[in-house]
Amino acid sequence: MTLLGLQWASPMMLLLLPLILLPWFTHNQDKIVAWSHFVPIDPLSNVIGSTLKVLASLVLSCLILSLAEPYIPEKKIERVGSGAEVIVLVDRSRSMDDAFAIKGQLLMRSVGKSDSKRRVAKKYLLEFVNKRPDDRFGFVLFSDQALDLLPLTYNKATINATINASALGKGLSETNIANALIKAAEMYEGQTYRGSRIVLLVSDGGQEFDEEAKRQITALYKRENLSLYWLYMRSVTGMTLEESANDNQRWTTTPERKLHRFFKSLEIPYRAFEIESLKSFSEAIDEIDKQEYQTLIVEQTLPREQKMIPFFWGALLAMLLLVMAQFYTAWGVRKAHE
Amino acid sequence: MRLSYQSRITASALLMLLVLFLIMSALWFPRTDRTIKVMDLLFVLDITQSMDVVDVEKDSDTISRLTWAKDYTRQTLQTLPCGSHVGLAVFSESRSLILMNPVEVCDSYHDLTQMIDKINGPMAWALSSEISKAAFTAIDQAKLMKPKPSVVFITDGHESPPLHKTLYPKYKGSAGQVSGVFVGVGGDKLVPIPKHDLDGNDVGFWQENEVLHQDVYAASRGDVSEELGGGVSRTEHLSSLKQSHIKQLATMLDFEYVISPSKPTSLINTLEQNSEHRDQNVSYDWSLWFAAIALFILVLLYSPYNRSRDGSVSD
Repeated sequence: MTLLGLQWASPMMLLLLPLILLPWFTHNQDKIVAWSHFVPIDPLSNVIGSTLKVLASLVLSCLILSLAEPYIPEKKIERVGSGAEVIVLVDRSRSMDDAFAIKGQLLMRSVGKSDSKRRVAKKYLLEFVNKRPDDRFGFVLFSDQALDLLPLTYNKATINATINASALGKGLSETNIANALIKAAEMYEGQTYRGSRIVLLVSDGGQEFDEEAKRQITALYKRENLSLYWLYMRSVTGMTLEESANDNQRWTTTPERKLHRFFKSLEIPYRAFEIESLKSFSEAIDEIDKQEYQTLIVEQTLPREQKMIPFFWGALLAMLLLVMAQFYTAWGVRKAHE
Repeated sequence: MRLSYQSRITASALLMLLVLFLIMSALWFPRTDRTIKVMDLLFVLDITQSMDVVDVEKDSDTISRLTWAKDYTRQTLQTLPCGSHVGLAVFSESRSLILMNPVEVCDSYHDLTQMIDKINGPMAWALSSEISKAAFTAIDQAKLMKPKPSVVFITDGHESPPLHKTLYPKYKGSAGQVSGVFVGVGGDKLVPIPKHDLDGNDVGFWQENEVLHQDVYAASRGDVSEELGGGVSRTEHLSSLKQSHIKQLATMLDFEYVISPSKPTSLINTLEQNSEHRDQNVSYDWSLWFAAIALFILVLLYSPYNRSRDGSVSD
């Protein structure tokens, strides 16, 4: 509930407020006199008496109000920072359990080992997340299905925990990149534009999309003003995404190439990083980190603020005066008795 | 004996001085450390299709088992003390998929509830429902986390394909390293299971001839099949809460179980008794106690029925 512009954590305490009238009903410190008409009418005494009662009421009310635990609720404020909004798409398919394709080495399945592509991706994604304080992150889990698991959030603990979880266990079935890309773009829908918007795709394979998916992705990515980064974790030794003169014949029609061509045709900021080792992954991440510092509107939550202190101060000052008055009275009475 | 006027004045002056000191303490007394017990939990929600059965009574409403599981998880989050950590996972096929490692509940409450909202049946990656194996993988993955969470496994206990009476999967690791609780959900009557395709579209109910009624091994071997007397009951296309299976699993894994709890406290109490918890220091603010005592003394002081005047309090 709201009172005096504050929220109250224990509003039931406010039911004690009538107690502040007590000082106006009590007479326990009056001296017993034979006949009250003997007491001369003294305006100054009346004023002092009322003042003391007001002070007493003030102390009581301050104490009761502080017991009702006033607070200012947490507030969201916007400030200008620099960074970007990033949605991370990590391929959860089984092939990500493999190690990187290294020339002259057999492809190894290394489920649960630290060199699996999924683990490597995790390590560097975490590093990326943790060195970008103002960024807002979201996470899409995808294999066959795409699920917008973590909507855009400033909470570093949850994005860290989600990325950590993505590296646990074995991969799921197949990959459906189109679904995932659409899901990621949809997460920006209906959000106010705060600054640079990124979709960061981490996968080890490409895919040819059908016309419907292509049309949808093209429209969505333009409309939502997105940039796309593709961290392609190479699974075919030696193949590059860009065509070159001494290409292997079979590579021209690989799904990776097709996907790369489609991304380039999107007319949005797009960049692919071909990753074949730990080193190239960390370089790619550093490169993105460097590029993506633009002005960003950052929403910040100010924590709930306790507001009992002013009431304690009010009680303290009024009580100080009361105590002084009472001691003065006691001193006076004592003098009179002597 | 009645108090003289003079001593009454002095006594109240001294009491008021005490009140003054109490208010000063409320302002300046330092916070002290207190320990509270917090837990680390990993919630695993069954998202197989039997969880879509609408047979759970709640507030004069009948809701699906999965809806109940999500509600219950959310309520438990609200009840846990700050400092507790909660992670989320789902189970389908034969494994638990961790969605988020444990995070602190109060700071991350918003994101946790958002993620719980996202959990749904269609995110399942396969159609079978091998609870035992899924529980094993949940335990194995919990062991990899630091600090190691207790597992809360919410399920209706419906294994599909069904398990053989003696040839059921056994946990290879050592039970008891990870503590946990099974939370059983579902009604007692056998009811049809809604059928969805992999995209989550509703396609009626599972029919008797669409599911396995016997475990795969026994079905493929005449001899084991005959051991059962041939009379295999064909009810696997229907589902109810399989309490006995949950209890059996709990015994094998050294877990506890609670069946259809109505309040989050029943789960939390079970966890507190059987699971590891950590002590966490919180700084405790005493100011309200000082203020309350100060208020109490003042009210006595100003009470119109002050008994010291009637002489019932001696000097």
